[in-house]
Amino acid sequence: MLSALWVSKTGLSAQDIALTTISNNLANVSTTGFKKDRAVFQDLLYQIQKQPGAQASQETQLPSGLQLGTGVRAAGTQKVFTTGDLQITDNALDVAINGRGFLQVQLPDGTLGYSRDGQFHLDANGQIVTAKGDPIQPAMTVPEAAQSVTIGSDGTVSVQLAGDVNPTEIGNIQLVDFVNPAGLQAVGGNLFRETAASGAPQEGTPGLNGLGTVEQGALENSNVNVVEELVNMISTQRAYEMNSKVISTADQMLQFVSQNL
Amino acid sequence: MDKLLYVSMTGASHNAKAQTLHSHNLANARTTGFRADLAQARSMQVFGEHFPSRAYSLTENPGTDFRPGSLIETGRDLDVAVEGDGFIAVEGPNGEEAFTRAGDLIIDNLGNLKTATGIPILGDGGPIVIPPFEKLEIGADGTVSIRGQGQTPEALNQVNRIKLVNPDTANISKGPDGLFRRNDGLLEPEAPGIQLSSGFLETSNVNAVSEMTEILALSRQFELQVKMMKTAEENDQTSARLLQVN
Repeated sequence: MLSALWVSKTGLSAQDIALTTISNNLANVSTTGFKKDRAVFQDLLYQIQKQPGAQASQETQLPSGLQLGTGVRAAGTQKVFTTGDLQITDNALDVAINGRGFLQVQLPDGTLGYSRDGQFHLDANGQIVTAKGDPIQPAMTVPEAAQSVTIGSDGTVSVQLAGDVNPTEIGNIQLVDFVNPAGLQAVGGNLFRETAASGAPQEGTPGLNGLGTVEQGALENSNVNVVEELVNMISTQRAYEMNSKVISTADQMLQFVSQNL
Repeated sequence: MDKLLYVSMTGASHNAKAQTLHSHNLANARTTGFRADLAQARSMQVFGEHFPSRAYSLTENPGTDFRPGSLIETGRDLDVAVEGDGFIAVEGPNGEEAFTRAGDLIIDNLGNLKTATGIPILGDGGPIVIPPFEKLEIGADGTVSIRGQGQTPEALNQVNRIKLVNPDTANISKGPDGLFRRNDGLLEPEAPGIQLSSGFLETSNVNAVSEMTEILALSRQFELQVKMMKTAEENDQTSARLLQVN
């Protein structure tokens, strides 16, 4: 059979993966703290049909050989950790990280998840939780008598109690950083998990040792650029069409053989 | 049996090989830094104890198209594109030097600077390792500088320099893994004039329209060969009919 068929098939499946990545990015264009993905392509191995430079005779060498590539492969997706724009919301429990770092969230199974999404809420006990109800780590509880909550740029969370002159400190938001944030595993729900590729989390106070500062009343928008994604979508679609055209051409060639011989 | 059949058969099978090569290019129309393969056909005359009238066709790839692709802006600090000629030196699987144009770099958990497909990038004195940083910049000459964790902006540290080379394209060839290597296996000296643009990626240099046209032209040529095989069959039938005794 014509190997062009299998080569173009790899082209089709790679463009398919690219389109899935693009549509996931576009779907998350207004997801707080979302980091876009990018499909990474790699040319598949080459098969040497005729070795260039081999001896054609004792005195002469072949000037050029024949190496046939076997197509393309999606080597993986890469999270692009550029910062999204900060949006001012003036909501006391919204925090954005201005710089590197992740917020820590205690997941129901006891492990920690890492997130750039700082939309927090209070649960029935006054605990600061994410939209899914997972408590922030280190855990903090806002007392019932609290009039207002203030989060400092170094992560200090303090509340103003009714009838009290001085604010009361209820905890500190700690950020973590990774050597290779792109190696984190995205698990959905705006959360990432630590992997062997990301390295161990290094906890620290916001604003110190390279960690970003915590900004109250702001949120980090998704870093998806709509125009860029649409342009990528156009080129992906055209590449898909051309690869499918090759398949139909190869099919016609085979059809011609089977009909004429 | 007329040897015409074998000449056309060789033609058709080599057209199919050239078809594979072009469809490989088209499959990689969106692979970062991919360089298109070229195809050519050569006529191979057969000499022997007969009249040398047969010329078989032979498909070859005489090399790679080294024209630069276009640059697309990504804004990511670790994306680099080589402007004009030149390559980024990487360490192949056997520790040898190889070259690539794909500049979508990553840093692994041990701080090694690698391509997105996991091949270490060479700098001054071996693969580049980057200490933990807050901000990383790759300069136009390949210099990697970082602002270390907790340091002020004026304390920018120079870590290493990505080895940029400009080998003579006549002396390098693509290996089975898609990386380029020097044919003589020697080390390529660093080339001072090569420029990198940080925040950009280079697209594949495949011209989709010309590849598509080639594929269509090859498919018609393939049909022509099949037609010739058909003609050979008809010739054979005719001569068989002439010799038939009623």
